[in-house]
Amino acid sequence: MIDWFGVLEQVFANELNSIIAIGVLFVGLVAGYTVWRMASRMLQRMGIPELVEGTVFERTARGLGTSTVGILALMAALFVYAGALVIALSISRAINTQLFWAQVTGYFPSLFVAALALIVSLVIGDKAKLVVSERLRSVKLPEVGLIPELVKYSIFYVGGLVALGQLGVVTEALLILLGVYAFGIVLLGGFAFKDLLAAGAAGVYLVLTEPYSIGDEVRIDEHEGIVQEVDVFVTYIESDGEEYIVPNQLVLQSSIVRVRN
Amino acid sequence: MTAIGDLLDDLVADADAVFLFSPSGSLYESFADADEEVVVVAPDNAVKADQYVELPIEFTDLTERVRFGIEGAMEQDIVEEGEDIVCVVSVFGDDTDTIVRVRSGEFDRSGVYDLFVNSRAEPAVIRDVLEVAVELGKKGQKGKPVGALFVVGDAGKVMNKSRPLSYNPFEKSHVHVGDPIVNVMLKEFSRLDGAFVISDAGKIVSAYRYLEPSAEGVDIPKGLGARHMAAGAVTRDTNAVAIVLSESDALVRAFKGGELVLELDPEEY
Repeated sequence: MIDWFGVLEQVFANELNSIIAIGVLFVGLVAGYTVWRMASRMLQRMGIPELVEGTVFERTARGLGTSTVGILALMAALFVYAGALVIALSISRAINTQLFWAQVTGYFPSLFVAALALIVSLVIGDKAKLVVSERLRSVKLPEVGLIPELVKYSIFYVGGLVALGQLGVVTEALLILLGVYAFGIVLLGGFAFKDLLAAGAAGVYLVLTEPYSIGDEVRIDEHEGIVQEVDVFVTYIESDGEEYIVPNQLVLQSSIVRVRN
Repeated sequence: MTAIGDLLDDLVADADAVFLFSPSGSLYESFADADEEVVVVAPDNAVKADQYVELPIEFTDLTERVRFGIEGAMEQDIVEEGEDIVCVVSVFGDDTDTIVRVRSGEFDRSGVYDLFVNSRAEPAVIRDVLEVAVELGKKGQKGKPVGALFVVGDAGKVMNKSRPLSYNPFEKSHVHVGDPIVNVMLKEFSRLDGAFVISDAGKIVSAYRYLEPSAEGVDIPKGLGARHMAAGAVTRDTNAVAIVLSESDALVRAFKGGELVLELDPEEY
């Protein structure tokens, strides 16, 4: 890279250099514009506008007269402009401290990625919150309102961590915190969902092989009756006036008796 | 102008309750301070009304729609018998164009609300089956009119009160009504004789079932055929509801507890 610039500088005279630099700037402008157009079209094709609909970031962007797609495309274009500017400046030797360039060119892409990570995490976090709260809409408990917020801030946290990591800020402590958090979720989730997972695994077997089906008379774990419904987690068995809802892992554990007369 | 205005004033005077059928948000807002009781009747509670009756199918017939809303409200004890109700409905378009005044005890209860809400099967399942029947009645099977009988809910008991006519095409399959592909399958299988059995959660348990409930004491209108009789009888013997598409007059009828509760003309939907 540096040798290449050296060769360029030797071949061309100073005046020529500035002309070329202007040319590069011009090409950069055109390329930036093309990138901007293409990026916004591509993002729109990917259905990003529908995806980010209703998030705070999108609404803020709209308030500023642009949109998430617009901002992302603008960032890509700015990246190209800045790259062109860097090349042009180095050709015209306006500033040629090589150390400075090595640092800036190294730093610039990470800055770009960091900004991208921040935006993406803001959008995804908000969207995830919307989706989760939509799913939980029928549950009218005040405690449930905490879950979507938790999801949102978890995603923000990870996004912020990625951005900080890109910028080279020391993030070990934050990473450890994330690890503890994830470990806690997995551990507690494992405990909490133990029975559901067991029932689901047994249910998959029952649903696929159908050892008994709707209408059969069976005895499971002292409950005798007609099978009314088999789903992934539970089996509904009904006898006169009583309906037993048996978790599926219990069905496998206690074995099934099919009653035939 | 005044004559019409007076007529309208008379129509809405001393009403005990206002029923808004599928209202827009702004319409519902404008009734926020109304003295009358405000009840929203709609397919979904988009305006977040406190008093709300879910409309499972879009009745095109005005009387059916009003009847459903009022029966639902009476079932939920929102209104009582003998109250004057003003219904705000849109019949021809999406905008409100009709105002109906009706007294809540004025007609016999048909049990149509009861059919959807208080049956064993989930309301969405009953609605999906009704839609399949209506669609089948509209188009027929490859242009020819067909009949079909769907028994929904209490599938375990229904299976024990019926026997297979042939192999069950739905054995070991996990298909639920409401899925567009499944609806096509149901239509294809409708040329088979016998009944479809559908569980509470909408799983299609069997096709090709010969129902053998005891038909004792089943009182259905005279002139309906064996399929309707079987449908009426099976709902008397079990807690299922039955939805029948008639081959001869192409009407869709729903039975519950051995009685005819709903009659729809597929051509109107």
